[in-house]
Amino acid sequence: MFAKILIANRGEIACRIAATLRDLGIRSVAVYSEADRGALHTRVCDEARAIGPAEPRASYLNAEALVRAAREAGAQAIHPGFGFLAENADFADAVESAGLTFIGPTGAQIRAMGDKREARRLAAKTGVPVVPGAEGADTRALVRAADAMGYPVLVKAALGGGGKGMRKAADAAGLAEAIEAARRVAGSAFGDESVYLEKLLERPRHIEVQVLGDGQGRALHLFERDCTLQRRHQKVVEEAPSPALDARLRAEVARAAVRLAEAVRYRGAGTIEMLWTREAGFHFLEMNTRLQVEHPVTELVTGVDLVRAQVEIAATGRLPFEQPPGPPRGHAIEARVYAEDAARDFLPQAGTALRVRWPEGASVRVDRGLESGDSVSVHYDPMLAKVIAHGATRTEALERLVAALDEARIHGVVTNLPFLRALLRAPEAVSGGYDTEWIEREFLAGFSALMRAPAPELALAAAAIAEALDGAAPAARGPAARRRLDPFAALGRWRLAGLEA
Amino acid sequence: MKTRWRDGDHSREVELTALGAGRWRVRVDEAEFEVAAERLPEGVLELTADGRSTRAEVTPAGTRRFVRLGTLDFVLERDTAGRRRAAAGGRGHGPGGGGGLEAPMPGVVTKVMVAVGEHVKRGQPLLALEAMKMEHLIRAPHAGVVRRLAANAGDMVQAGAELVELEEGEP
Repeated sequence: MFAKILIANRGEIACRIAATLRDLGIRSVAVYSEADRGALHTRVCDEARAIGPAEPRASYLNAEALVRAAREAGAQAIHPGFGFLAENADFADAVESAGLTFIGPTGAQIRAMGDKREARRLAAKTGVPVVPGAEGADTRALVRAADAMGYPVLVKAALGGGGKGMRKAADAAGLAEAIEAARRVAGSAFGDESVYLEKLLERPRHIEVQVLGDGQGRALHLFERDCTLQRRHQKVVEEAPSPALDARLRAEVARAAVRLAEAVRYRGAGTIEMLWTREAGFHFLEMNTRLQVEHPVTELVTGVDLVRAQVEIAATGRLPFEQPPGPPRGHAIEARVYAEDAARDFLPQAGTALRVRWPEGASVRVDRGLESGDSVSVHYDPMLAKVIAHGATRTEALERLVAALDEARIHGVVTNLPFLRALLRAPEAVSGGYDTEWIEREFLAGFSALMRAPAPELALAAAAIAEALDGAAPAARGPAARRRLDPFAALGRWRLAGLEA
Repeated sequence: MKTRWRDGDHSREVELTALGAGRWRVRVDEAEFEVAAERLPEGVLELTADGRSTRAEVTPAGTRRFVRLGTLDFVLERDTAGRRRAAAGGRGHGPGGGGGLEAPMPGVVTKVMVAVGEHVKRGQPLLALEAMKMEHLIRAPHAGVVRRLAANAGDMVQAGAELVELEEGEP
C-alpha cells in the first residue's frame, strides 16, 4: 500500500479524496496554484505544495510541475480526481514513466476511450448497442449519411465528451453549417478537428453504470446512476438507482457495461454512459475513464468507498471485493451547487463566500470545497459542492435533499441554490418523469419568471433595517463567520495546561 | 430614512421610521407595514409583523446585500447610482449618451479588439472576457467612437467594472 499520495486537483474533489486517504492512514499532498493559496483543499491535506500561477495551463494542467511536486514530496502515487488531467493519457504515461503510480486506467485505455469513435467501435464489438451514426472527414459524405439515417442528428467532437462543442442539426443545410462550427470548436478545445455524427434520440434518459476493473479482464459493476436532469447537456441532479428502470432492465444495462469493461481489460473505476428510451432501449454514449462528479450516490446505496477502491486496485492490481448482490440499498440523490446566477442566464460568479453554512444530518452528505471566508476564483470550474441525501425510498431521499438545500446558505457569492430548490419541488422531479431536455423545454421559462418577480417587501425591510442598525459602514464588519484570533494570546492556554514543550 | 435598492430589474424604495423599542414603520414602494426587529447572535434578525415571525440574515458584500428570509435567498443591491454619477461629474459620462460598457461577470480580459479613437459599428465585438471556461464577447450596443479603454488583455476585472467608454454617433 502507498504511504503518501499526491492529489492533482483542487476544490471539493481534492477534499473528498483527502478524506479517504485519512481513513486509510495514507498521507495526502495537496497542490495549489497562486489563486488557491490557503484554499480548503490545502487545509485538509497533510501537506501542500505550490505548483504555479492561477491559469490552469500553468498549474493544475502542468504535468511536469505535478510530477515534480509528487517526487519532491516523496509520494508514491498521484490521484488525478476528475477534470484537469484526469483523462489525459500523456499525463498518465508521464506519471508511470517517472516511477510513480497513476491511480486510474492505463494511458492506452484513456486514449482508446477518449476517441469517441474508437469507443463506439469497441462498444459495438462487444454487443453493446450504439446510437446510429457516421464518421469521416468529408462534410458532403457526412450529410449524405445523415440524409439516409434521418434527422435530427448531433455533431460531436471525436476527442470531446461531456457535451462540449456538441451541435444539433435538423436538416441537410443546417448540418453542413453545424459540422463546420463543431470542427472549429473541436480544433481549439481538443486540438483535433475530427467530428462524428449521431442520430438524435428523442427524449432519452441518461443512465450510466459504475464499473471497477482489475486491469486483467475481470470487472464488476456497482449498479446504475440516473443523470437525466441536465441543463445544456450538463448534469445538475443525479440519483441511484434510476427511477425508470425495473430489475430486468437494471440487470441488462449492468451486464452490458461489465462486458465492455472486461473486453478492454479496464483498470480502476470507470463509468459507461448510455441513453435510454422505453421504445429504443439502451444505447452506448461514451465511457468516462475516471471517478465521476456524481460518484457519491453510488457510494450511499452500496456502502462502497470508490476512492478507496481506486487506491486498492492501483496498489494491488486486484478487485478489492466480489460483485455485490443487488438490489441497491435505498435511494440517493445529489444536487450540484454552482457559483452561477440562475437569474442571469447562469453566468458564472466569483467573489468571497462571506457566510457559508452547509446542511448536516445522518442522511445528508456534503462534498464541499469551500467554507466561510474562502474565495471563488474566476479561473476554475464554478462547482462549489455537492449536497447528497440518502433515504429508504426515492421520496424520502428527495424530501431530505430539499430540506438540506433549504438549510444550505452561501452569502457573498451568488449560487444556483434557488434554482435547485425550485427544480426539486417541480411535480416532474417528484414523479421522476423527465428526460434530458425537460429542464430547458419546460422548466426554465416558469423558473425565470419566478426569478424576475420582485422580492418580498420583508426582504427589503430586512436589508434596510440591518443597515440602519449597523450604521453607515456595514461592509467593514467583514466575514461574519470568521472569529479574529490572536495566535500568541491563544498559546497561553496551552502553556497554562503545562503542554509547552 | 429613505434608501433605494436594485432588486433584479426593479428599482425599489424603502422608507424606514424608527418607532422605538425595536419597532419600525416600513414603506416599500407603495406598501406600508410595521415590523419589530430583534437582533440575535451572528447577524440574525428576528422580524415580527402582524403576530408572525421569521428570521432574516443580511450579509453585506460591497453594495450588495445577501438576504436570507426563512429558507429563501435574495440578492439586493444598494442603489448608489445617483452618487456615482455625481462623483463622475463633468466627464460627459451620463446615462444618456452611451458611456461605459461594463463586465457582465468577473473574469479575465483575453482580447481587446478595438483601439481608442476607432469607429465601431453596432454589434461589433470590442473585447473578449473569459471566466470559468466560458468566453463572452463584449459588443458595441450602438455605433460610435471608442473614447477610452479601461482594461488591457490579461487584466482581471470584477463584475460591473467599466471596460470601454463608447461615445454614441455615426462616423
